[in-house]
Amino acid sequence: MSAAGRTACVVGVGETPYAKWGGITDATEYQLSIQAILAALADAGLSADDVDGLASFAGDRNDATFVAADLGLPELRYAGLSWLPGGGGACAAVANAAAAVESGTAEVVVVYRSLCQGQFRRFGRGPGNAPAPGNAPTTGPGRVPHVRRARSILEAHVAFTMPFGMFSPPIAYAMVLRRHMHRFGTTVEQMGHVAVTTRAHAARNPRAVMGGRPMTMEDYLASRMVSDPFRLFDCCLENDGACAVVVTTAERAADTATAPVTVLAGAQGALRGFGHGQYSNVSMPDDDYASAGARGVARRLWARAGIGPGDVDVAQVYDHFTGLVLLSLEDFGFCERGEGGPFAASGALAWPDGALPVNTHGGSLSEAYIHGLNHVVEGVRQLRGESTCQVEGAETCLVTSAAGVPTSALVLGRW
Amino acid sequence: MSERWFPDEMPTPAASAETVGWWEAAADHRLVVQRCTACGTTRHPPGPLCPTCRSFASEWMPLPGTGTVYTYTVVHQAFIPALGDTVPYVVVAVELDGAGGARLVSDLVDTDPSDVAVGMPVEVAWEDMGPELALPRFRRAAVPGAGPGGRR
Repeated sequence: MSAAGRTACVVGVGETPYAKWGGITDATEYQLSIQAILAALADAGLSADDVDGLASFAGDRNDATFVAADLGLPELRYAGLSWLPGGGGACAAVANAAAAVESGTAEVVVVYRSLCQGQFRRFGRGPGNAPAPGNAPTTGPGRVPHVRRARSILEAHVAFTMPFGMFSPPIAYAMVLRRHMHRFGTTVEQMGHVAVTTRAHAARNPRAVMGGRPMTMEDYLASRMVSDPFRLFDCCLENDGACAVVVTTAERAADTATAPVTVLAGAQGALRGFGHGQYSNVSMPDDDYASAGARGVARRLWARAGIGPGDVDVAQVYDHFTGLVLLSLEDFGFCERGEGGPFAASGALAWPDGALPVNTHGGSLSEAYIHGLNHVVEGVRQLRGESTCQVEGAETCLVTSAAGVPTSALVLGRW
Repeated sequence: MSERWFPDEMPTPAASAETVGWWEAAADHRLVVQRCTACGTTRHPPGPLCPTCRSFASEWMPLPGTGTVYTYTVVHQAFIPALGDTVPYVVVAVELDGAGGARLVSDLVDTDPSDVAVGMPVEVAWEDMGPELALPRFRRAAVPGAGPGGRR
């Protein structure tokens, strides 16, 4: 445990405008990451001269070392990158920043994420420029000339999925939901409740990419099928934008411009044998496969926070796909195993009257897909009383990162 | 060359030192799974050591090429343009018979997508994608006394 004065707090949040993929043309993804950092610092009443640490998570193209140099940080004392893949690492990056300030490694750490799918590959597209078999490089090991040498462990693993047409996340996670449906009777309409509810939340959020696009259950059911059981509106957005979160100690927080939000607990990791998640591993135990894979993270999170799911006022749950929200709600203990669908269909997720308002900003389905760091931003706003779907008197917020990959989560608390 | 179900433009596999033996067997139309020769545990995808007993010794165990559908999805969107004439296609995870619980991602071919179900028995159908690249697809297992493709 840290000394009281070094308890980690979030003192600033910021973002760039969010736009549909390709919608931001006047700044690069890298420039947006810097804009988001500056916006979060301005929110905190701090400047780049106060910052001595930067944190992000796996696959970030926007290296902290260059960010530090371009921002003119006086001295970089902490540069943390979580190994958790893709959207699994947003909460881990914040937890790592919190650990850095609590240990005294750094004083002010900014966590950032920028994603411009218009400038780079759209995640929902298949692989580009795949060599045809007849044209494949002949550098493969062994005697099989048409099998290329893998440049990474991950590439060797997805060789067992990509050539079979499982080369986009909705395909891999549709298979997880199909298994969940088979075991527990989860339905398409139950997934639809997630999509429709969070779209309604987005309607109140001026930052939301889909804010002006109301959706009914009929609209949801009429959207085109992508990979059964996932329709278009089961899938998160592909967009451009960036956001950032400033983490420092309680002692420093006393001087900042905003009401600090306490990082009550963070947890991260993966189940035994989980690998990179169901995207590349379908041989894991059945109870793990048909789940968010977050049971261990949840158990450790609640233990460290000293509270349980019944004590949470509002939750921001990673929503790359509607169905995986249901699985996360199960793993974090808001309902019994297999009951995520009925829980959502009961209206529990809806602001303001549901038992557990979820994704009050609209989530990745309707606000923006910034690998879930925007879910941390929204959690902070809820505990500052600044959400566009404010849960009255909210004192605790759960934030989760991606289901289906090694993942992480936070419990944030009002100061 | 075998029957073809998928276009030439499909992504081709890349192999590591640990996985290349599986692809070599596939090129000969042999479906195998990696098995630890110390404790007998199977693993897929292949890896350098046994996660159960941590032995580095392993072998490629031949499989009968049959199994059941563990889960599936019917893909309607052509994520690469070359699949425009192929969609909808069915991606399956096959629980392989005799493989100690190992499952394989593959495709269900020669079967109406509306017929696929969890638990459906399937059998391997090799597709030669190039002179030395073969991929194990699966089709509905023939049932004794049934018509072609197991339809009754």
